[in-house]
Amino acid sequence: MSAPKLNVTDVAVLARLSLTPDETTKFTAQLSQILAHMETLGQIPTGDVPEVVPPAQPVLRKDIPTPSLSVEATLSNAPAQSNDLILVPKIVE
Amino acid sequence: MSLAHETLASLRRRLSSKEIHSRDIVKDLLTEIGAREKTVHAFTHIDEKAALAAAEKADSSLPLGGIPIALKDNLNALGDPCTCSSKILEGYRAPYDATAVARLRHAGAVFLGRTNMDEFAMGSSTENSALGVTRNPWDPTRIPGGSSGGSAAAVAGRLAIAALGSDTGGSIRQPAALCGCVGLKPTYGRISRYGLVAFASSLDQIGPLTRTVEDSAILLSALAGHDPRDNTTDLRKPETFLAKPTGSVKGLRVGLPKEYFLPGMNAETEAAIRSASQWFEKNGATLVEVSLPHTPAAIAVYYILATAEASANLARFDGVRYGRRAVDPKDLLDLYQRTRSEGFGPEVKRRIILGTFVLSQGYADAYYRKAQKVRGLLRQDFELAFTKCDLLLTPTSPEPAFPLGERTQDPLKMYLADVFTISTNLAGNGAISLPCGFTKSNLPIGLQLIGPRFGEEKMLQAAHAYEQAHDFWKRMPPV
Amino acid sequence: MSSSANWEAVIGLEVHVQLHTQTKMFCGCINQYGGAANSQVCPVCLGMPGSLPVPNEEAIRKTILTGLMFGCRIAPVARFDRKNYFYPDMPKNYQISQFEDPLCAGGTVGLDPFLFPKDLQDTDEAKAKRSIRLTRIHLEEDVAKSFHYEERSGIDFNRAGTPLMEIVSEADLRTPGEAFAFLGSLRQVLLSGNVSSADMEKGQMRCDVNVSVRRVGQKEFGTKVELKNLNSISGVRRALVYEIARQIAAVEKGEAIQHETRRWDDEAGATFTMRTKEKAHDYRYFPEPDLLPVRTDQGLRAAAETGLPELPAALQDRLMKENGVTAYQASVLAADRALCAYYEKAAAGTKHKAGVANWILNDFLATQPDPTTTPVRPEYFGELATLVAEGGINSAQAKKVFAELMANPSSPKALVEKLGLAQISDVGALEAFCDEAIAANPRSVEDYRSGKSNAINALKGFVMKKSQGKANPTQVDEILKAKLSA
Repeated sequence: MSAPKLNVTDVAVLARLSLTPDETTKFTAQLSQILAHMETLGQIPTGDVPEVVPPAQPVLRKDIPTPSLSVEATLSNAPAQSNDLILVPKIVE
Repeated sequence: MSLAHETLASLRRRLSSKEIHSRDIVKDLLTEIGAREKTVHAFTHIDEKAALAAAEKADSSLPLGGIPIALKDNLNALGDPCTCSSKILEGYRAPYDATAVARLRHAGAVFLGRTNMDEFAMGSSTENSALGVTRNPWDPTRIPGGSSGGSAAAVAGRLAIAALGSDTGGSIRQPAALCGCVGLKPTYGRISRYGLVAFASSLDQIGPLTRTVEDSAILLSALAGHDPRDNTTDLRKPETFLAKPTGSVKGLRVGLPKEYFLPGMNAETEAAIRSASQWFEKNGATLVEVSLPHTPAAIAVYYILATAEASANLARFDGVRYGRRAVDPKDLLDLYQRTRSEGFGPEVKRRIILGTFVLSQGYADAYYRKAQKVRGLLRQDFELAFTKCDLLLTPTSPEPAFPLGERTQDPLKMYLADVFTISTNLAGNGAISLPCGFTKSNLPIGLQLIGPRFGEEKMLQAAHAYEQAHDFWKRMPPV
Repeated sequence: MSSSANWEAVIGLEVHVQLHTQTKMFCGCINQYGGAANSQVCPVCLGMPGSLPVPNEEAIRKTILTGLMFGCRIAPVARFDRKNYFYPDMPKNYQISQFEDPLCAGGTVGLDPFLFPKDLQDTDEAKAKRSIRLTRIHLEEDVAKSFHYEERSGIDFNRAGTPLMEIVSEADLRTPGEAFAFLGSLRQVLLSGNVSSADMEKGQMRCDVNVSVRRVGQKEFGTKVELKNLNSISGVRRALVYEIARQIAAVEKGEAIQHETRRWDDEAGATFTMRTKEKAHDYRYFPEPDLLPVRTDQGLRAAAETGLPELPAALQDRLMKENGVTAYQASVLAADRALCAYYEKAAAGTKHKAGVANWILNDFLATQPDPTTTPVRPEYFGELATLVAEGGINSAQAKKVFAELMANPSSPKALVEKLGLAQISDVGALEAFCDEAIAANPRSVEDYRSGKSNAINALKGFVMKKSQGKANPTQVDEILKAKLSA
């Protein structure tokens, strides 16, 4: 595994962050250094190690209704609302 | 003497005998806060009126009746702000109680205020807070550690009797060590995470920061146990920890992992830890050298897995349903990008980008999946070590509190400071940090005891025995 | 020259099905359509900071049951994963879904000829009775509902977090008719297990279609196009007919098919480009750390097995073999479990089970009844069939009884009395009527004897008229013939 060229701008788009040119430069340098440190993992043989599996003990929920929040409580945190709907800029598909 | 200086256990006894009233404690704490909070800045929010009103109504017959407790600002408490020390949660009011908060409430505790932290618990110095830095009560030019730096500084500075923190890679233990108090990270699954704003779900645990090991055990007893709202909580029955302190470490096999004692480590820290291990030996414990061979990989594994999980956990902060929203977004993408770019601080952005990258197409195998496998090896290391010993003894932090601002521009160096604490989060084990000495310049040094999974009782017994044989915990910070 | 006969379509479906549960997938909010906006939400389904999901056992059981009904392999240990993408209808900006270890894998859906569109039921494609392979069935959470205005969109989170099952087929389908039959078959099976109401028009079943074309005999797939906004099973068929023709025409003109998503406009009867797929989504799936793996081998699968219904194919077989109903009737009954239950109750009380099927599927069904609430008790149809078959009344009378039964539901025997319809089967009385007819119609008697066998009808008519329609026609026929040939 060789150190990949991290394209901070592309990754930021996936994460819905817009970075200033300064941030982009800084993060590129810092994260490249961190990724280089992470390269050491490549040297550890893990061929026959299964991925971590937490103990399988399903504590599932019975299908029984519990109270919901009041509409007021829900909307009191919403930055924009109208007619009990939470508003966002128009969704264009 | 101000009641602010007493332990939780002592106050509990005096409250239940009606010798004192909860309001007396709260008033004394508010006096201390009035005098020193300006310097320390341990809190993001203090609601004096609410605390006093709750104290008036406190029922001292309950297990924690009338005991004031400070909450890290990433725990939801109905109707309260929960900022995670981030601008992005401006205006948010919790519509529900975290299970840990509900359990404390149920046990009669009074909530004093919310403590400062690294934004979304990402950091080791509490410098990554949008609400100002917290200072170490032992030296206000230095960091208190993090991310639960506010909780540690409040407890150490006598501004709180006890506090809750959260620990994803050392965020309870490291600030406890750097501030000279007791910090417990329970075994993963011991305490419900419901209502704790998630940083990395497979690593996060809530735990107490207290003056003494006994206080820690009291809070753990109140908090532990299965929660139907948290699928990852363990099913074992509730227990009372440290109900009968033995005060002895006789026969205990104490493991010293060789990877935790490396050349070049801080000399004063090393000396304090060596001296602590000698105390164990002198008092009837056997010292065993053990190996946790994958320790050098732990930082890389941790920063891959923790940031990957965080990149998803923090996706919900988008300005749609709660919190801060960018003004006049021109479209949906603009709403998301500006809300998040304006709302998150640099460390959070850095980690979201790292976490997004290690999960992205073409890289997930080399980073995320590889790290999961190495995590399995780390866990095996601990399992094997615990066949040879009962507890592990290590430093909590490689060095005492460093000066404010020293590492803010060097994230990798900051990350490397977590080396002794993160493995236990990756393996899921419980661990406790307690004071074991001071440097020449009067900075606290922390000792870490790591137990096998769900081995908190043994760990607390040993920690308690060590603590009571010393008086480090009684020392007062100068601030 | 080329024609569509040289081309074949390759079709795969992804079907989302809303599950019948009381509560949502990961929280206790009610799973019900039609509540006041944002009234069925809580910290979990709103993605509030700190909230955690806990899986609904019933939703998992129903998904396993679905897998069992389609012959899927049930994973002994299933896992949930996070699928990451930003969208305002998804509160956490990741969807809890299943990626690596879905609950069900493999399985097949059989295409019953009667599930093809009516106009195709006699064709070879319907009679081929193909089996379509399933890739997988997994469980996930639904998203919120958005309403679009001039400049903004409004979101109602009531649907957010309700359980949604995704059934993915292999690209085994070749015609719009097969896609139609596939969806019909899915729906029938889902209804039989009470897994979902699976009504596409109500959004309980939603279908995305992938379709490409290639020359017959060609091995490689063509460029596939995804179709969206398909709101009925027949809409899927129409959209496919259009889209396949569009693609063939394009390729024949030498145009390349774009890898894109197209929207079906049912009114225009055409598909339109929605978005091109230049950049594939990077969903960054990873195991959901808030949830432990689900063990199905410790009781969940066993619980699902106890809920296994008689599957439509088995039910049809049984009805044809044991009750003598036609293949078509069996398919209608299998498609409507409530009606089928009604029929089975009706048929239980009589030997004449095929007759009961005729009454219920022809006459009764024409009145558009709700079999679960109708005041007409199913036993009445058993009685009616017995009355007809065993000579109590003739078919004309039976129609009158049926009409009365619909108007004033009560026992057909009582209605026969009430209407004065009891059939005359007494041989002495019938002989008297026949003698009278022979005496009064010498012309007809002569015609019959000279070989015009139709002439007997005039005599029968006379008897029926004299008996006010109550004479048993079979018996009258026998008596007349005996007397005339004497």
